[in-house]
Amino acid sequence: MEEQAQLTEKESLDLIAQMIRKAKSSFHESGTSAILWGSVVALAGLINFAEENWNFSIGFDIWLIVLAALIPQIFISVKERKNRKAIAHDSTFMNAIWLVYGISIFALLFYFNIVPWMTDREIKEAGNELLIRNIHTGSLEHFTPNIFSHFSLLLILYAIPTLATGLGFKFRPMLLGGILCYVFFVTSCFTSTKWDMGLNGLAGIFNWLVPGLILRGRYLKGKSC
Amino acid sequence: MFKDLDPILHSQLRLAVMSLLISVKEAEFTFLKEKTNATAGNLSVQIQKLKEAGYIDVVKKFKDNYPQTICKVTSAGVKAFEKYVKNLQTYLVK
Repeated sequence: MEEQAQLTEKESLDLIAQMIRKAKSSFHESGTSAILWGSVVALAGLINFAEENWNFSIGFDIWLIVLAALIPQIFISVKERKNRKAIAHDSTFMNAIWLVYGISIFALLFYFNIVPWMTDREIKEAGNELLIRNIHTGSLEHFTPNIFSHFSLLLILYAIPTLATGLGFKFRPMLLGGILCYVFFVTSCFTSTKWDMGLNGLAGIFNWLVPGLILRGRYLKGKSC
Repeated sequence: MFKDLDPILHSQLRLAVMSLLISVKEAEFTFLKEKTNATAGNLSVQIQKLKEAGYIDVVKKFKDNYPQTICKVTSAGVKAFEKYVKNLQTYLVK
């Protein structure tokens, strides 16, 4: 591009429009993170459902892969940051939404693990015990308090950043994924924990895996052009 | 002919750079070079002129031991760009 070139008013406006288009087209999300988290949540939810449904165990808590997925995510983030040549106006805001979501998920998992244990301890300290009676045999057993339908809470949390991203970027797959997540949430209020696990797996597929694959396709297409 | 048009902005490469920078939060020199297809020397000169006019901020730092130049449009730059586009539109209406 030559600096000396004289522009007419129309050429100036065309140049502005062309450059704005060029800048916008540079921000194709690679979809790697969405594919990673979609696969992880889908795998964990569906395997957990299968374990409960067909009475088998894989020998460890499958949801631990969510923690393990943090390692590749760090590498992906570092690599993307390294290769980034420009920062979009909305990227700071979107990154903040997903960061807060990540913190909230881990805070909720902490809550799921600590609150039942703390409740049990408090009941014991007050000199009481929660018992559950089998209505058929009449036998009484110790009942450890738990968070009822806790997978439903995860579904609501999944929907928040997904729907926000879908609405913010007018990205229909994530918009639909977010809406579907609320449908799964309502459904999970009426189903047993086993099915809630399955719905979590499906949420992983529709919220992130499918949109991630679409983003990936667009990214690769944009790269080859 | 273009009496009301800002002479700093009314040049092909500087206008291209400003249009790119107005669309992003910040951009590296290599990004601007890639999008404008300008030579590094010419681009450096025009970036310097925009900086001297107070339209952009230029920060030089190191990334992986390589020099990195980051450009960002200032609020004065945004105002000047908006005024430039407004003036252009009045020309088109005439």
